[in-house]
Amino acid sequence: MDDATAPPVEESATPSRGTVTRAIRAAGWTSIIAGLLILGFVVQQLFVTTWFAEQHQVALEEEALEHFAVAEVSTVQYTPAPASGTGTVIPGAGGSTNDDDIPAAAEPRPILVESTAETGTAFAVIRIPKIERLRDGWAVVEGVSVRDLKNGAGHMPDTPLPGLPGNSVISGHRTTYGAPFNAVDVLVPGDLIEVETALGIHTYEVRELQIVRPTDVWVTDPREGAWLTLTTCHPKLSSRQRLIVFAELVDGPNYEAIYT
Amino acid sequence: MKQWFLNLPGPMPLKIAIAVVVAIVALVVLFFVYDWIGSNLLDTGGTVG
Repeated sequence: MDDATAPPVEESATPSRGTVTRAIRAAGWTSIIAGLLILGFVVQQLFVTTWFAEQHQVALEEEALEHFAVAEVSTVQYTPAPASGTGTVIPGAGGSTNDDDIPAAAEPRPILVESTAETGTAFAVIRIPKIERLRDGWAVVEGVSVRDLKNGAGHMPDTPLPGLPGNSVISGHRTTYGAPFNAVDVLVPGDLIEVETALGIHTYEVRELQIVRPTDVWVTDPREGAWLTLTTCHPKLSSRQRLIVFAELVDGPNYEAIYT
Repeated sequence: MKQWFLNLPGPMPLKIAIAVVVAIVALVVLFFVYDWIGSNLLDTGGTVG
């Protein structure tokens, strides 16, 4: 047939084979890159952050030992609360510092207190025999900023230091940065938690576990006696809720003074 | 990717050096992005309030 008389070729409505091939190739590369990015995220979060935290722990545990040696330990008079409320003297322990507010006269007794560490520095070591990660101890730093918690568990400022009357709050990661509190959900009432500070070793007994919202700040409220409250994310791999462990002092340098 | 590398200015050693620098910067940026996502969505450290 002569070209001049040939009918015009109709343009196909469907994409050409080359276009389809390019689209499939682009989709394939996009999937591979997205997969690598997600894999990188998982590796970075679960392994790289933990590696960094473990490296920091070595230095922080030494820093805590140094703090034990140089911290100023002194004695103050502690007046236990009578029937309700909390005792006095300790900042953040709740109650009033005005003795006139105490309805019934309670015998003041001496308790040991230590100087507060600088924010970001290690001042304590927490041990939980039931949890492998915490069996040998994990350094606790002063402060709960993002940076503080990357290094160790963090003591919430404005709550009493461990071993003192009131409610001492310590927060820690659940899945990243060493995940010190990864397995706190296995704790049951009766399990023991030890916190070593410049004052000595304070032993707490788990009383209760609760799951709360991240905005439930009541968990940090002052309490009668001496309490340790651990807070961490819940469930694992999510920050949707908080897992709270309430533990009460059962032994330590200040136990007799606080509870008798 | 290959085309991007070949389009880098200068002789081959310079191209390689530029590519290495770009890769390191990209990895550092990616690290911080991962860190931000992890610290804000995956595990905030368990603080309340």
